Parts: sequence; C-alpha cells; structure tokens
Amino acid sequence: MGDSYEGQDLRGQDLSGKNFSGANLTQARLSGAQLPGANFSGANLYQCYLDNADLKGANFSGANLEFAVLGASDVSDANFSGANMKRCNLVGTKGHNANLSGVDLYYSRPGNADFQGANLTGANIERAIFRRANLANAKLTGTTGNANFDNANLEGVTQ
Amino acid sequence: MILGHFRLNPIEVNAFIFGCPETKEAVLVDAGEWDQRLPQFVEDSGLSLTTIFITHDHGDHVEALPEAAKHFGATVISGTERPGGYQVDRVVGHGDEITVGNMSGRVVDTAGHTLVGLSLIFPGTVFSGDALFAGSVGGTSTPENYERQLDNIRKNLFTLPGDYEVHVGHGPSTTIGIERDHNPFFV
Repeated sequence: MGDSYEGQDLRGQDLSGKNFSGANLTQARLSGAQLPGANFSGANLYQCYLDNADLKGANFSGANLEFAVLGASDVSDANFSGANMKRCNLVGTKGHNANLSGVDLYYSRPGNADFQGANLTGANIERAIFRRANLANAKLTGTTGNANFDNANLEGVTQ
Repeated sequence: MILGHFRLNPIEVNAFIFGCPETKEAVLVDAGEWDQRLPQFVEDSGLSLTTIFITHDHGDHVEALPEAAKHFGATVISGTERPGGYQVDRVVGHGDEITVGNMSGRVVDTAGHTLVGLSLIFPGTVFSGDALFAGSVGGTSTPENYERQLDNIRKNLFTLPGDYEVHVGHGPSTTIGIERDHNPFFV
C-alpha cells in the first residue's frame, strides 16, 4: 500500500519525478501540475484530475485511471502498459509515442487527442471516441472492440 | 464540497450527490436507477439529502425518481412538471436559483438533446446532463435542435471559467476549459 492523497488539492504544484507508486489518488486534484517522470505505477487514480498537467515520461503501468481526467495534458513518452483507462477523459491530450499497449480504453474519450506514434498494441478500444484524433504512425495491432474514428488522422497507422 | 459519483444501469448513466460542507445538506442530480450506494453515501457522509434535481426528462435519468424522492423525502426540481410521470415540487428555468445549504446554484438552458434541458451551476462545478459530454455532445433529433444545443453550450457554459469542473450524464467528467478548447464538436 502506498500513501493516500485522496481528495487532496495539489493543483499547479511542481512534483517532477515524484514517486506515487501504489498511492491512493482517488478524486485528487493535480490540474496543471508539473509531473514529468513521475511514477504512478499501480496507483489508484479513480476520477483524479490531471488535466493540463505535464506528465511527459510518467509511469502509469498497472494504474487505475478509470474516470480520470487527463484532458489537455501532455503524456508524451508516458508508459500506461496494462493500465485501466476505462471511461478516461483524454480530450485534447498530447501523447506522442506514449505506450498504451494492453490498456483498457473502454468508453474512453480521446477526441481531438494527439497520439501520433503511440503504441496501442492489444488495447481494448470498445466504445472509445477518437473523433478528430491524430493517430499518425500509431500502432493499433491487435486492438479489440469497435471505436469511433470519425475524422481521425490514421495516416501510417499499423494495424 | 462533497461529491459522490455513481455510474448506474447498463447504459452507464451518471448520478451525482453534491453536498454543502458546512450544513451537510445535499442535492442528488438525476435519478436513473435506484441503487443502495446512494443512501449509503448519504449516510456515510453525514448528509441530509434535501433536493433532487432532474436535468432532463429521459427515462435513463428519471426512472428511480419516485423511489429516490420517497426515500429521501426530498424536494424534486425539474424543467418540466412531470418527468417520467412524477409530479415535481418545483419547475425551474433559465436563470433560476437553487440553494443547497450555504451553496447557491444557478440553472441555465442547455436544451437541444431534449426540448427542455437544464444544467445546474454552482461555483466551480457544473452538472450538464446530456447536453455536454467529455469530447462530445448529446444526440439531437433535428439539425435545428443540434444547432440550438451547441448555441446554448457556447452561451451558457463556455462563458464560465475554464477550471470549472463539469459532471456529465454519461462518461467521464471534464472541465469547461478542456471542452471549450478541444471538444471536436466545437473546435
């Protein structure tokens, strides 16, 4: 068990590289926070607000991000392998080369997101809405489920 | 604020309990399905649920209204007189105020998905029903209703501060800023 930050207000704080491994961040507010390289592996981020946050290179492997709000954040080069991202808000999220392999993206909302070069190999994308998302050169090999790709950029996608 | 979120029934409708931290009075926003988690949250949080607010008259948002109203003895407020056939206590419209404890909320028109559709705004927090979703908007029956919905959202929601949290009828919550800047139906 990690530390508990449940419901805490950490908006705008510089938490670069902080270790949240296994922590409870349920309904915590980290909007606009500086979190590059932070470690959220195995953490519970249910309905956590991470919008407009700098999450470049962060580690979310095995984390629970159900109902989390990552809209307008930057998760480029972040690792989400094996994470639960069901019903996750990814509207306008930037995730260049992010690792989303094996992620559960059921009912998630990546509209207008920029996931160019991201790896979604084996992800569950059932009912996800990628409307106008940029998935150029992303890897979608072995994804399962039916998603909405209306007006998405799928140039160079590997399927 | 005290916020409880409940994902209900097979089509994933959301219900929210929003409480005043000072008086512990609370409002239930939409009542799609009766679920024991609702009274349990009220009890565990030491709340008194005095009000039920209905965003719009669709079955997935009102089906449990009779049971919820009876259980909590709450005042039911809606934009229509009989959502789901249930006679409400107070009909409200654009600009009306709703008070919950020491919190003062404002009702705004977000019709389009339904002919009468309301959102409820407290400082920092919006409940948008099926008008505005994360990265999407509610379905509409005609092009005119679609335009009306987008227009209402622009006028009555997107004029709020960007950090206002928006709790929606289906799917994940969001913020005014995210939707104003990135929602593909507007940008």
